[in-house]
Amino acid sequence: MADKIAVAVDDLTVAYNYKPVLWDIDLSIPEGVLMAIVGPNGAGKSTLIKSILGIIDPIAGSVQIYDKPYHKQRHLVAYVPQKGSVDWDFPTTALDVVMMGTYGALGWIKRPGNKQKKQSLEALEKVGMLPFKNRQINQLSGGQQQRVFLARALVQNASIYFMDEPFQGVDATTEIAIINILKELRKAGKTVIVVHHDLQTVPEYFDWVTFLNVKHIATGPVKDIFNDDNLTKTYGINYKVAVQQ
Amino acid sequence: MNPEIAILLISCLTAVACAIPGVFLVLRKMALISDAISHSILPGIVVGFFITHDLASPWLILLAAISGIVTVWLVEAIQKTGLVKEDTAIGLVFPALFSIGVLLIAIYANDVHLDTDAVLVGKLEYAPFDNWIINSSSSQEGITNPEDFINMGPKSLWTTGSVLLVTLVLLGLFYKELKLSTFDIGLTSALGFSPVILHYGLMSVASVTTVVSFDAVGAILVVALIIAPAATAYLLTNDLKKMLLLSVVFGILAAFGGYYLSMWLDASISGSITTVLGLIFLLVYLFAPSRGLLAVLFRQRRQRTEVSLLTFLLHLNNHDSIEERSVTHLQEHINWGKVRAKKVLKLALENNMISKNGDVVTLSNKGKEFTEKALDYIITNKDEKIEDMKDDFFLFRG
Ligand SMILES: Nc1ncnc2c1ncn2[C@@H]1O[C@H](COP(=O)(O)OP(=O)(O)O)[C@@H](O)[C@H]1O
Ligand SMILES: [Mg+2]
Repeated sequence: MADKIAVAVDDLTVAYNYKPVLWDIDLSIPEGVLMAIVGPNGAGKSTLIKSILGIIDPIAGSVQIYDKPYHKQRHLVAYVPQKGSVDWDFPTTALDVVMMGTYGALGWIKRPGNKQKKQSLEALEKVGMLPFKNRQINQLSGGQQQRVFLARALVQNASIYFMDEPFQGVDATTEIAIINILKELRKAGKTVIVVHHDLQTVPEYFDWVTFLNVKHIATGPVKDIFNDDNLTKTYGINYKVAVQQ
Repeated sequence: MNPEIAILLISCLTAVACAIPGVFLVLRKMALISDAISHSILPGIVVGFFITHDLASPWLILLAAISGIVTVWLVEAIQKTGLVKEDTAIGLVFPALFSIGVLLIAIYANDVHLDTDAVLVGKLEYAPFDNWIINSSSSQEGITNPEDFINMGPKSLWTTGSVLLVTLVLLGLFYKELKLSTFDIGLTSALGFSPVILHYGLMSVASVTTVVSFDAVGAILVVALIIAPAATAYLLTNDLKKMLLLSVVFGILAAFGGYYLSMWLDASISGSITTVLGLIFLLVYLFAPSRGLLAVLFRQRRQRTEVSLLTFLLHLNNHDSIEERSVTHLQEHINWGKVRAKKVLKLALENNMISKNGDVVTLSNKGKEFTEKALDYIITNKDEKIEDMKDDFFLFRG
């Protein structure tokens, strides 16, 4: 299983206003791993995901999803953006947000119908949010909002899932519920890539890890590379502070 | 056509045509850009006028719309340098374009009929008399026969009507894409819907609408018609479709209200429409059921009372002795004013949290359960624990 490469990043350099935030990244992610991307604030973790998904144009380098450019493989990829990147006061309901996950398969102009609604309700059920389907999204707690985002990714029914800090602002119960769903996805052969902040839970939750801080530092199985050496390279000499918080 | 009906129709069509892009601009927090567009279309209008010599020509509308889009593009380009924020960029761009327009007029076209009154408040009053005449005469030159001319009715009616029709068709086709890109631009792009195309599409509609409406209702009303109905509707609903519908309703209400107000006051029609828009917004801002000012104040007061209720219940939970549970003692001990104590007692009784026997209050089972749940919530911050309390208590709704 581990010999097929799901995501390959080659010599990727990304800049905002000519200031590079990712330098010459080479990275390959095998199929079927549940991988954490770790690095300090501003390390470029979100930027890396966004450039893999074609949301940001890199100034150099290329990205392949199963050996083809992203725009040919969109249907294989689901994305959960950082929670803070959207306006939760937007006038819409939980169910409606999940339905947005079906838009990609629909393409331009076509409207979602009963089939899409049914899929979305199932996804809500899976994350335990069915009772809140008609709740206004700003009436949901942080954990519930995160679950709605997860349901939206599930409804995309993809092979590769990118999630940007899905545990941000969630309570312990929700965190466990989410990680269980991610583990289930991996069991079903999916590749799951998660930007993660809590270094302490990395060995418990993930089987692979990528260290990133503007440059790519290391990628590999947690048991092989999650060590002081890489943590120090990524977080600097004070990495222990980062572990404790 | 009866001028009264013509004016009402033109203002209603304009109101609806403005309200629709307005909803998306307000939700994208880009309300200011419509102000910028309404000013910076001037150079487009002037250049268009040089070419066509007709203020209602489609080419002029197109050129003006292009200057609107150039505005949007310039604002973004300046913003992208990272040196200034969006509002500053807007403030830099539109005076520049506007003054280019003014200079062009001053240098090349002193005699162009573009008076400031018409630019600011429009000329709705005259719109019914500016008719679209089609010459169906077969003779090339010379004698023209009055019967050869067909009066198609007011020009503004045709221009705003067509723009509205196009807007409605585009909304019908791309509602899903517009909603998605307004809510979550990252996912929009990841799913393969180009946010750039959607953004410039929306901006083009907004520009064309502004140009066409500008001719009828002027620069001030056009901004008001774009922003005010959407901002008002936003206070009233949590559903995008209803927000669109309500904005349209408010636009039409203001068109009618403004017209009759202007008759009554013998004032400018577009000025009166703007006034009515402002009044509707004010009323809704004050009285909207959950987002209105009064509702917010009421909620804050209820929340204060509910915090007091919780303190009171916790106290009862912690103390069993009769003296601790007497009303007078509670008043002294927790140090509340009489009014507040009364309110809290009433709220607790209403919700069957306590029972009262003479002067002594006792925590009921329901009250015990509530207190424990609330405590649990405060300690663990786990939302599931208080789901059912949310319906009755503002305190837990955030
Ligand atoms: N839209 C943007 N414009 C300019 N700079 C940005 C933008 N987004 C992120 N950055 C900068 O790029 C760097 C990396 O950001 P990001 O990828 O969000 O980091 P992380 O997700 O690891 O915290 C940071 O220094 C941040 O300030
Ligand atoms: Mg980030």
